[in-house]
Amino acid sequence: MFIRLVKFAWKIIWRNGRRTVITGLAVGLGLGSMMFTEALMQGMAAHMIQTTTESWMGDAQIHRDGFPDTRNINLTINRLDSMLSMLDGDSTVSSFTARILSPASVTSTTELKPVTLIGVDSKTDPEVTMLEAAVDTGSYLSGESTEIIIGYKLADDLNAGLGDVIIITVAQADSGLSSSMFFVSGICRFGSDNLDRYSAFVNLTTAGVMLGIPGEIHEIAVQFPQAEMGADISLGFRRKFTAFSNTALGWPELAPQVGSMLSMVNISMAIMAAILFGLVVFGIVNSLFMSVFERMYEFGVMKAVGTRTGTISTMVILEAFWIAVISTVMGSAIGLLIIWITTGTGISFGEIEVSGIIFDKPIYPVLRLSRIWLYPLFTLILTTAAGIYPGIHAGRLNPAEAMRKSL
Amino acid sequence: MTDNDVIVAEGVVKTYDDSGVPVHAIRGIDYTLAKGEFTAIIGPSGSGKTTFLNVLAGLDTPTEGEVWLSGKLISDMSGKELSDFRRDHIGFIFQAYNLFPVLTAEENVEYVMLLQGIPPGERHERVMAILKKVGIAEYAGRLPMQLSGGQQQRVAVARAMVSRPSLVIADEPTANLDSKTSGALLDMMRRLNEETGVTFLFSTHDEIVMKRARKIVVLRDGKIDGKASLEDC
Ligand SMILES: Nc1ncnc2c1ncn2[C@@H]1O[C@H](COP(=O)(O)OP(=O)(O)O)[C@@H](O)[C@H]1O
Ligand SMILES: [Mg+2]
Repeated sequence: MFIRLVKFAWKIIWRNGRRTVITGLAVGLGLGSMMFTEALMQGMAAHMIQTTTESWMGDAQIHRDGFPDTRNINLTINRLDSMLSMLDGDSTVSSFTARILSPASVTSTTELKPVTLIGVDSKTDPEVTMLEAAVDTGSYLSGESTEIIIGYKLADDLNAGLGDVIIITVAQADSGLSSSMFFVSGICRFGSDNLDRYSAFVNLTTAGVMLGIPGEIHEIAVQFPQAEMGADISLGFRRKFTAFSNTALGWPELAPQVGSMLSMVNISMAIMAAILFGLVVFGIVNSLFMSVFERMYEFGVMKAVGTRTGTISTMVILEAFWIAVISTVMGSAIGLLIIWITTGTGISFGEIEVSGIIFDKPIYPVLRLSRIWLYPLFTLILTTAAGIYPGIHAGRLNPAEAMRKSL
Repeated sequence: MTDNDVIVAEGVVKTYDDSGVPVHAIRGIDYTLAKGEFTAIIGPSGSGKTTFLNVLAGLDTPTEGEVWLSGKLISDMSGKELSDFRRDHIGFIFQAYNLFPVLTAEENVEYVMLLQGIPPGERHERVMAILKKVGIAEYAGRLPMQLSGGQQQRVAVARAMVSRPSLVIADEPTANLDSKTSGALLDMMRRLNEETGVTFLFSTHDEIVMKRARKIVVLRDGKIDGKASLEDC
C-alpha cells in the first residue's frame, strides 16, 4: 500500500512537470549555492589559518608559564634541552624553531621607534616561517652578529635603507641596559603591520648575548603536517609539552581573532542557511498548496471512496518527498559542479584585508565531506517536512465541499 | 427501521451559508432506501439532489436530522469509521472526473481494494472480472484521457462495484454523456443491480435514465414531492 502511494505520488508530481522542475530547480539552486558558499568559506578559513600560521606564528608554540602575558625576558623555557630532545623525537611535529623575544627600541640617525627584537635561529626558522621568503631587499640572516632584518614600514619610519646603521637598545635580564650596533642586512615584507613595522630580526645568539641570557630562549614555534592539528585539543602534543612549567598552545589560542573570525563565518553560514531553508520551506508549501487546490476535486473523490485523512496527508507529504529528492539531486549536482570548477581555478578577490590578514591570492573552495553533506540532508528533510501542512489541509477537506467548489 | 433498510433519514435539513445568506438546500426530508432498490432521485437543477445524496452517504453533515447507514447512526461514527464504512460498503459514481488521471483504468478500479488491504493477486482477478462485466476489459491499461466519456463512466461503475459494496450512489452519472451512451450505461447498472442485488441510488434529470429506474423520488426545492409525476421534471 505504502509503496503504491509512493509510486502514485511520483506520477502526480509529473502531472505538472514544469512546476516540479521549476520548484526543484529553485530549491536546487539554493542548495547548490549554499554548498558552494560553505566550500568557499572553508577555503577562506583554510587560507586564513595558513596565512596566520605559516607566515610567522607556527601551528603551535611553547613558552614558559607566564611569558605570553608578561613578556618578562627572565621567563625563558625551562629545561630547554629536555624540551628540544622531546620535540626532536616527536613524530607529530614536522619542524620547530627557537626564538628570543624582547621589547626594544631602535634608533636610526633620525628616528627612534619601539619594536620587538626577535632572535631567530636562521638554521631552523625557514622550515617554520616565511621570513626568508619575505625578505625582498638584501638577504636573509647568515649568522653574522651585526646583521638585522627589518620590515619595509619600519625602514620607512626610520629613514633607513639597506646597509645603514641602526642601534638597538634592550633591558637586560639583570636590569641593565644594553645597546648594539647593526647594519640593515635585509628588508622584509609580510603584509602584516606587526611584522613589517614593529619587529626587528637578529640572530638568536646575538639576541641571547644582548639580553644576558645566552643559550636560553623564550618561544618555540612548532609546525605540524596540517594546520588543523594545532586546533586539535585532543592531540597528545599539548599534554606532552605542557611540562616543566612550560605551556604548549595551538593557533586558536595564539590568534584568537582567527578563531572568532571562523566562528563568525560559521554563524553567518548558519544564518544564511536558516534564511535559505526558510525560503525553501515557504516555496514548497506554496507550490504544494497550488497543487492541492488544483486537485480539490480529486481529493474529494479520494475521501468519498474511503481514503482516510492520514492516507491523503501521507500522499501529499510523499509528493513533497519526491520534489525534495529531485531538488537535492539537482542542487548537489549544481553545488558540486561549481565547487569542482572553482577548486581548479580558485576565486580571486583582488587584494582585500580581513582582520589583519591579507587575501591577495585566489581562494580555493575546499570540499569538506564532513560538513557538506549536511546541506543536502537538510534540504531533503525540510522539503519533505514542508509537505506536512498542505498534507494536513488536504486530508481535512470536506469531500462534498471539495467537489462542489472545483466544479 | 428493518434489517432491510440500507439508508434511513429522519428530518434531514441542510442549510448552507452563502456568505451570510442562508441557502435552504434540503428542507426536511424523511426517507428510507431499502435493500436491492434501483431508485432515481429526480428534480431540476438546484433542487438539492447532490446535497441530499452527500448527506445520505455521509460526505456532508446535515444541519438537522439524522441518517442511519445499515442501522448505524452516522453522527455516532468517528471520521475514520465513516471513511472506512464508505470504503467497505458504498460505491460512488460522480458525474465527471471520477478517475485519477495519472492512474490507468485498472489502477483506478484497484484503488479501493488497495485501501482495503486486499492482496495483489486477488485484486488483479477482481479488477479484470469487473472490467469484463462493464465491457471494457481491453482498455484496462489505458489512462482516463485515452478513454471516451462513456468508457470512463464504465470504469467508474467498475470502481464502485469492485469493493462489493451494499450500496452504489451515483450523482448524475450520465450528465456528460450522449443519450445512447447514457442508456447503455444505465442498462448495465440495472443488470448489475439485478445480478448482484446491490442497491443503487442515483440522481438525474435525464429522461432516458428515469425510464430505467424501478422507483423514482422527486425532489423539489429541497423537499420530496409525493404527488409529482415524471412529466413535471
Ligand atoms: N456549499 C454550498 N454553499 C452554498 N450553497 C450551496 C452549496 N451547495 C449547494 N448549494 C445550493 O443548494 C442548492 C441545492 O444544490 P444541489 O444540491 O447542488 O442541487 P442539484 O444537485 O439538484 O442541482 C442550490 O441552490 C445550490 O446553489
Ligand atoms: Mg447536482
